[in-house]
Amino acid sequence: MATSSCATTPPMSSAQAQLVDKLNRSVRSRTARLQFVEEIALGGRMRLDRYRLGNGLGVLILVDRSAPVLSYQTWFKVGSRNEHEGKTGLAHLFEHLMFNETKHLHAGEFDRLLESAGGETNAATWVDWTMYYENLPASELPLVVRLEADRMVNLVLRDPQVTSEKEVVANERRYRVDDDVEGAVNERLYATAFRAHPYHWPTIGWMRDIQGFTTTDCRAFYRTYYAPNNATVVLVGDVDVEQALRLVQTHYGRLRPARLPRERPTTEPAQRAERRLEMRQPTPTEKLQLGFRAPPFGDYDHAVLTVANEILFGGRSSRLYRKLVSEGEIAADARASLAPFRDPGLYEVWVSLREGHTARQALTIVTQEFERLASRAVGSAELDKAKNRLELSFLQGLETAGGKAEQIGFYETVLGDPARIFGRLAEYRRVTPAEIQRVVRRVLDVRRRTTIVVLPGAGAPRPEGEEPHEEAAAE
Amino acid sequence: MKRALTKAAIMASMITASAPSAPSVAAAQIRGTRARFGTESGLLVLVEESHDLPLVDFQITLRTGSAHDPADRDGLSRFVARMIRMGTRNMSAPEVEEQIDSLGAQLSIETSPSYTRFAGSVIKRNLDPFMRLMGQLMARPAFRAADVAQVQRETIADIIDMRDNDRGLAAKHFREVLFGSHPYGRTVIGLQATVRAVTRDEVVRHYETHYVASNIVLGLAGDVNEAEARALVSRHFGALRTGAAPPDRVEPPAERPGRRVRIVDKPDRTQTQIFIGALGSRPLDPDHIALGVANTAFGGTFTARLMKEVRSERGWSYGAYSRLGADRQREAWYMWTFPAARDAVPCMRLELELLERLLTDGITEDELRFAESYLANSFAFDIDTAGERLEQRIEIELLGLPRDYYDRYVANVRAVTRDQANEALRHHLNAQNLAIVLVATARDLRPEVARLPHVTTVEVLPFDRD
Repeated sequence: MATSSCATTPPMSSAQAQLVDKLNRSVRSRTARLQFVEEIALGGRMRLDRYRLGNGLGVLILVDRSAPVLSYQTWFKVGSRNEHEGKTGLAHLFEHLMFNETKHLHAGEFDRLLESAGGETNAATWVDWTMYYENLPASELPLVVRLEADRMVNLVLRDPQVTSEKEVVANERRYRVDDDVEGAVNERLYATAFRAHPYHWPTIGWMRDIQGFTTTDCRAFYRTYYAPNNATVVLVGDVDVEQALRLVQTHYGRLRPARLPRERPTTEPAQRAERRLEMRQPTPTEKLQLGFRAPPFGDYDHAVLTVANEILFGGRSSRLYRKLVSEGEIAADARASLAPFRDPGLYEVWVSLREGHTARQALTIVTQEFERLASRAVGSAELDKAKNRLELSFLQGLETAGGKAEQIGFYETVLGDPARIFGRLAEYRRVTPAEIQRVVRRVLDVRRRTTIVVLPGAGAPRPEGEEPHEEAAAE
Repeated sequence: MKRALTKAAIMASMITASAPSAPSVAAAQIRGTRARFGTESGLLVLVEESHDLPLVDFQITLRTGSAHDPADRDGLSRFVARMIRMGTRNMSAPEVEEQIDSLGAQLSIETSPSYTRFAGSVIKRNLDPFMRLMGQLMARPAFRAADVAQVQRETIADIIDMRDNDRGLAAKHFREVLFGSHPYGRTVIGLQATVRAVTRDEVVRHYETHYVASNIVLGLAGDVNEAEARALVSRHFGALRTGAAPPDRVEPPAERPGRRVRIVDKPDRTQTQIFIGALGSRPLDPDHIALGVANTAFGGTFTARLMKEVRSERGWSYGAYSRLGADRQREAWYMWTFPAARDAVPCMRLELELLERLLTDGITEDELRFAESYLANSFAFDIDTAGERLEQRIEIELLGLPRDYYDRYVANVRAVTRDQANEALRHHLNAQNLAIVLVATARDLRPEVARLPHVTTVEVLPFDRD
């Protein structure tokens, strides 16, 4: 598969431009007028078309005839980064509320209609975005466009629904965080590593904030962020483009754009010394969680560190899996990942120790291996291995219509450029041993590190899901 | 994330067989080039082509799983499968892992009560060396004594590590309570004592008995055609052991009387994992599909009755689903919820009432129509990739279903009547004979749990019990 990617300015006479002209002939409202923006080549075989509606709604369409299905995704540029202290978790709670009553649908009808059509629908919220998806038989395109356009502006928010959904989210929090060792520790990691930036608080929110939301909070959030000019629709599947665009015009064309608040960027002060924490959890063995302040997703060094991570933790032949798990036999599990965030995030390491071994032992080994990678250039065979693994993972992400739509929506929302999906693969291939040394030296530096050691035992009494105090971290 | 589970999980075990009918439109539209052939050694090979991406998925599945483990050797099937990955006489375990990763491949090993599966993906250009590696591992494992000891230590560490997963703990204990001493009640991974007791001779004996070509289905899906598959199998899988496949002697499980409760006691739980269930049906039962439709209506989707009552109306649990398993013998049917600790007993009481009402009144006509529509229309997502289509074909082979089973699937679902669905419910499920398992902090719940209607026994076990 070719890996080139490029965006082209449309010639006036392109088929897409002609189609848009045709569709606009019967449209009077400015908000419903379509514009063809560009054609984006994804690799050698796929072509993504970008359109924009007069009200600012972005539309990305990739025709994929490999199966008679479609994936319809709506990506909003709002996440937990847009919240503030005291109201954490609002973006996520709101994601739940979006599946409730609208002016045209009773509570539960949205889901029932889609499930009856054979659809799967769900949503996700993270720090930089909120996305909603429907995977459906291709014939159901009219249904999904109608339903998504409806809930973008016609949601009905009343106290009983908000109260009930807050309880559901509180239970989700108990499931993912409060009763889950790794979830609880990871939340503490971000709360300790970030002090100013919104990445400090968990996307699901602190429990007291979840329980304190009012219907007024939710209405204000909806009015502020849920508007066509803050969203991109991604459509991938066995669809007719003309029909799809006509449906978009019909159902979204009447929606008015909102005046979006200007985001005030928060710069996290540089971390100059290690931050350390100890936690007790009801777990049989010690755990080690590390977080290093890392580059943002759009930075080339993020790609370099991703390759470095493959060398360190990718697969059973990786350096640290061998040292900690298969050959060192001090851990049951060892893995790491790099946060794909718009602003600098964390490179996270997780080690679950075996009985009789300590997190301190693991920390020594991890540190030694980081130093080895920083000081000695990686050989070509090991580097090729890392790149092959990343290529496999890349291809697996494109197997389904939903997988393709997710990649497109993510790159569009975080980087503003879906063409960088394939650009990312090209970046991996370009990474050199010297670049890995440079980035590992810079990022995997103890002064940028937050270290959490988890010891087995009863936890210190703390109100359920309470935000940790700053002074808990020693620096 | 609005909900915990997706349709993929719901459908994983929906395997049914029924009357003939026309192929579904979706299946007819999607089906690509496929092949099915056997080798002289008895190996069955399935190929499902798709050239959209330079990627090949593969599966090597044995008709042997944890239900076939010898007495006092729980976990042996999984153990031997893990030993396969430890290398051949000419290749150490680290060398095996180095090859897998270098080739841009993934290999996972899963063991279930009736099957052992080596599955993964590889980038197309490295398909040949990867299949060579897999052929060598399957036909020439070394089973070094030192590796046996290493896998024992690793497995015991995994058993202990699993105690961090409340849902996994609940599921494991639920099977123990539901199936009792039946082989389906064993833990797939084994117990510390049984794993520690495994000897190299037992590993070799298990391998020689079960890793024979006639006991294996090999599947390839993706950027590969029949000619390539034949050549790969001929080149790399000719050395598999031959001989008769071992018979499957697993008997049908017996229903255990009463409502038996087990509380898995874990400190500091703010939430309670709850599994409530009974024996379900077998895919070869004539009413399995009808039970599947009824289950979908009751708890198989986000808008089903159980979710509506537990989550939508009361906000008690983030998820509330019911599941119908499928295997050669009757598998489990169960409800899964995870409310806050304070809501656990009311939630259980509600679930028991809902089950009783389901068996008394059945599902409604509207619910039937919805469930059939959902299952029929969503079938497109069970066949939208070559890997999914291969998965279906392997299930057909392993469960002995009719070859055209999935071609008839949609029509068979649509043919179920309300009476058939409700009769299947009453025939298979009994609300008085239930396994009820909780992972919770026991002191908070035990007295109230014991007062639930018709509970016959309540036992409390520590979460870190082997």
